[in-house]
Amino acid sequence: MSISPAAAASVYQAIAKIGTSSPASSAAVAGSAPAAPNFSDFLSSAVKDATATMRQGEQMAAQQAAGKADVVDVVNAVNAAELTLDTVVAVRDKVIAAYQSIMQMPI
Amino acid sequence: MDLATSMAVAASGMRAQTNRMRVISENIANANSTSATPNGEPYRRKIATMQSDFDRELGATMVQPGDPIPDQSEFRMQYDPGNPAADKSGYVKLPNVNPLVEIMDMREAQRSYEADLTVMEASKTMLARTVDLLKR
Repeated sequence: MSISPAAAASVYQAIAKIGTSSPASSAAVAGSAPAAPNFSDFLSSAVKDATATMRQGEQMAAQQAAGKADVVDVVNAVNAAELTLDTVVAVRDKVIAAYQSIMQMPI
Repeated sequence: MDLATSMAVAASGMRAQTNRMRVISENIANANSTSATPNGEPYRRKIATMQSDFDRELGATMVQPGDPIPDQSEFRMQYDPGNPAADKSGYVKLPNVNPLVEIMDMREAQRSYEADLTVMEASKTMLARTVDLLKR
């Protein structure tokens, strides 16, 4: 399972860049932060990773149905897919919660 | 990712035990297989083997099922002159399979498989609990 470290690393990078770029572009409004990868970029890459693992799980299940794969391999692949999806969903919830708390901030 | 690796290692152990189970079932199924000719040999018991194997990609030592080796012990002899496999004195060679030994081997394979399953379950729980930290 190579997904969770990759996803975690990209999240960390995105968050680290958000932290450093906001004080630099002090007065500039949130819309004009060009270098930092935005949330949708991060989300789409994480989801892409997750779907790759999910697809592997699906492929294994199909091979098992065709009598080509071991049950153990199928369980392993589906487990990896489940854990990856769980991680991506949890991270997404966290980021959305952060976004909402920022949007509700009284100015 | 060490927990994912431990799951893969446990899976290789489960695969090895599955292979062992297959060899045991061959032995039990052929416990009465005699040869069709007077001087031929009956079924010879097989012994399942396993080898440790370092996986460079995962950086962990997995277990690989090896080729089964033939058991060289003596065949059982039974007096049965009417059997087509009987020799001149009327004795038939029966396979050197002892059902009690096979049952014992089977239990051991079963327990080892369960141990691997427990390792897998524990690793998965550890991973899932860690991800759960993100959810609150």
